[in-house]
Amino acid sequence: MKIAVCVKQVPDTWAEKKLKDGSGILDRESVEGVMNELDEYAVEEALKITEADGGGEVVVVSMGPERAGEAVRKALSMGADSGIHLVDDGLVGSDSVATSYALAKVLDGRGFDLIIFGSESTDARMSVVPAMVAERLGLAQLTFANKVEVAGGNVTIDRVTDNGLETITAATPAVVSVVEKINEPRYPSFKGIMAAKKKPVETLSVGDAGIDAGQVGIGAAWSKVDSFAARPPKAAGVVVQDEGNGGVAIADFLSAQKII
Amino acid sequence: MESDMALRLVVGLALTIGILAFAGRRLLFLVKLARSGKPATGRLSDPTARFEAEAVEVLGQKKLLKWTIPGIAHVFAFWGFLVLGATILEVYGALFIADFAIPVIGHWSLLGFAEDLFGLLVLVGIAIFVVLRLTNKPEVKGRFSRFFGSHTKGAWLILFMIFNVVWTLFLYRAAQYNVSLYTGEEHFPFMDGGAFMTEWVASWLYPLGQTANEVLETVGIWLQIGVVLAFLLIVLNSKHLHIGAAPVNVFTSRRPNALGPLLPIMYDGKPLNFEDPPEDALFGKGHIAEFTWKGYVDFMACTECGRCQSQCPAWNTEKPLSPKLMIMNLRDTMFAQSEYLLAAKGSHPGLGEFDDAALASLSPEVRAEVERPFIGSREGSDHASEDGYTPDGHRTSHPDLPIIDEEALWACTTCGACVNQCPVDIEHIDHFIDMRRNQVLIATDFPAELNGLFKNLENKGNPWGMNASDRNAWISEVDFEVNVFGANGEDTIPDDVDYLFWVGCAGAFEDRAKRTTKNVAELLNMAGVNFMVLGEGETCTGDPARRAGNEFLFQMQAAQNVEVLNEIQAKKIVVTCPHCLNTLKREYPQLGGNYEVVHHSELLADLVKAGRLTPVNKIDQTVTYHDPCYLGRHNKIYTPPRELVSASAEKVVEMERSGDKSFCCGAGGARMWMEERIGSRVNQNRGDEAIATGAKRIAVGCPFCSVMLNDAVTTRQQDPERAIGVEVVDISTLLLQASKS
Repeated sequence: MKIAVCVKQVPDTWAEKKLKDGSGILDRESVEGVMNELDEYAVEEALKITEADGGGEVVVVSMGPERAGEAVRKALSMGADSGIHLVDDGLVGSDSVATSYALAKVLDGRGFDLIIFGSESTDARMSVVPAMVAERLGLAQLTFANKVEVAGGNVTIDRVTDNGLETITAATPAVVSVVEKINEPRYPSFKGIMAAKKKPVETLSVGDAGIDAGQVGIGAAWSKVDSFAARPPKAAGVVVQDEGNGGVAIADFLSAQKII
Repeated sequence: MESDMALRLVVGLALTIGILAFAGRRLLFLVKLARSGKPATGRLSDPTARFEAEAVEVLGQKKLLKWTIPGIAHVFAFWGFLVLGATILEVYGALFIADFAIPVIGHWSLLGFAEDLFGLLVLVGIAIFVVLRLTNKPEVKGRFSRFFGSHTKGAWLILFMIFNVVWTLFLYRAAQYNVSLYTGEEHFPFMDGGAFMTEWVASWLYPLGQTANEVLETVGIWLQIGVVLAFLLIVLNSKHLHIGAAPVNVFTSRRPNALGPLLPIMYDGKPLNFEDPPEDALFGKGHIAEFTWKGYVDFMACTECGRCQSQCPAWNTEKPLSPKLMIMNLRDTMFAQSEYLLAAKGSHPGLGEFDDAALASLSPEVRAEVERPFIGSREGSDHASEDGYTPDGHRTSHPDLPIIDEEALWACTTCGACVNQCPVDIEHIDHFIDMRRNQVLIATDFPAELNGLFKNLENKGNPWGMNASDRNAWISEVDFEVNVFGANGEDTIPDDVDYLFWVGCAGAFEDRAKRTTKNVAELLNMAGVNFMVLGEGETCTGDPARRAGNEFLFQMQAAQNVEVLNEIQAKKIVVTCPHCLNTLKREYPQLGGNYEVVHHSELLADLVKAGRLTPVNKIDQTVTYHDPCYLGRHNKIYTPPRELVSASAEKVVEMERSGDKSFCCGAGGARMWMEERIGSRVNQNRGDEAIATGAKRIAVGCPFCSVMLNDAVTTRQQDPERAIGVEVVDISTLLLQASKS
């Protein structure tokens, strides 16, 4: 079984993020980059599937600037076999439509049985790229999985929805996105970190991947940032001193806010 | 007479040669086994300190005397055996020459007196031991007996054998004395007096007549020689091996002790380079064959006395970890796999690989033992909560289960009570951390909670995953100016700055510790100490990563900090966290970072002494002080915090477990970041002790102790009858309160 895992490097999830003046693109240099946390679950799931299968191959795919190579290495240190890094100045500012196009170009024709994504990136939080990639590749999409089973040319997932779980089955090849409840991502062993340094990573430019440069980058984006402003600082809260009337005071406060 | 002497000689020598052959074989095996360990570095450096340790700890019995009565009993036995060395010479002399005496001093009454006195004292010593063993029976006292899991039958045998050594000694000496009286030949060297015990026993034997006494003399000599030799054999084949192994172990142990800094992972005599590690480097200990020879000597030196266990926070809260049982388990494993260790002779490659040739030479049983998983879950096995040991020292065998219980391994808080107590200087913590290193770096099999800790340290440089930009948040909450490095464009710390104030992650992000930070800053400001903080330039020192076995992460954190501190030319540093203190002061020299680091209690105590801070309003409450492990045992700072507490409060009470016997709060060894699922809670055990003193304030000097003890007190306060008005505070809070009019 050959599995692709798409990973994204994002600015540290809990860090204060900034947008670049003018373009409104995320300023990636100003914050520490980490592998999108949800993608760690995707890598873990891919590794678990191949381990249970007793073999196979896990290929990490990432689109992003030079620095995103760190996320690829991280996935390799967890145990993935090889990496593909799509890096090109022409991709800067790509929206999710363009990203799905570029990723589909890279993934297409490489014989993957399964393509696994984290259910969203913690910076853009769109959750749509896995579905878009599936659509572009003409594959079944099984998104928001908290359980994945692969058997006999089929993949079955438990899909988390607002109303409960749906069980969905599709024939492979297929695209799956996973939620954080699915597993506990492994911490790379030192052995793994060392081995990752020697694993092959293929670096592709827009041209190498056969991507039409006109369809990616900020110029091709369907959406555009008109203006932006920093979030106003958190206002001081209201302190209720409990002098025997604490419960009433809280109820008054909540009803004044039209919460109750 | 001639033929009698010949018979005496023949039997005596035959006994000796026969038993010495067995003893020699065993000794050779033990030496070879110890030498089959991996290399250990720096074990003979600084010989002065080593000889001093030998004098103080072995001859002076200093660590044994930490416990007065058992200590004195051991002093009697130990010195008894040194002095009775003279009687061994005499008894062997008497095999050859009936009236043998040691040259020059052999007839001195003082020697005779000393021999008899120490013979008697050995008897007193073993009488005390008998009482101690009877009142501390593990069958009765269970886990609270320090002998729980020790080989009690073996111990009784040893006591019996010591008794035999002494009575046979007095038997042959008394008979010698009487024969000397009958014949006028000086068979006994001390006919001029001194040997009071011999004379007393002789007075009972005299009436038996000359012939009987002549027979008793020869038989007594055989018995004495036989008993001493049998004792030697038993010693070499039991936990009493410490008689030989302990002096070697004390000599080669870390000096001044195996507390404070942890050792880096070594390769070829140098700290391992993580950037480009050699193919055959080991990253911790994942098999008994990966331990160093010093580890093997540690295991051989263990006497199973249980002093370590009696002080262990894990054992005292019903965890499966006892430092003693862990060392015994490693020793039992070392002997069980000795065939492999001897065959591999240190060429065991580790990392899950074996020396195949050595492996192939083993019987199937030994081979199975060698290939047994080393560390893992022993859940559900017999005596799981006692690390697999029965009360009387029987290791329950589960050939399919791992040798080391991971629950025991991760229960250690690295508080150092075991190392501090151990009379033979076993380096428990080093072994535990080495095994944790294997679990983290190689096996990646460790408590899941540590995942978060490691990730936060890697990505955010602090255990809580807070943003570096918030490191200065506390500054906006004080009403005086705080110098932040770089705010005025400085590249190095200006000369007029007295101290770099290393705030620490807790001090910057954790609410209670933040209060300490602000208090210390205010006190320093009050005293006119010019200090500066690094602000966003600070990251975790790496202590929790190192104690959790993630040496790789520690090395990265430490290298980064040392680089910054050296670049800005930091010289004097003050910290409020004993873990930061230990790492900055004692571990960073391993990476080329040498700074003068003080804990805030030291600096504040100096300022009070110098009159720069004056506690004018002593707090009218009783205060008790809890020694943080990394301030006390690991760094020997006991007095300055007490001086501050006494200067700030009207009344101070000590807990029973204080000073170097202080009981851990439960947070050390990265336990702060792990769940405590088994047994009772360490922090509650300590908190209850503090509450029981009746003190209204529990003073601490460590942000982690503060959190842990505060939790314990809060838990008790939910029970309305208890701990009302009790508050856990940092010593700086007390001083600040007392310094304000």
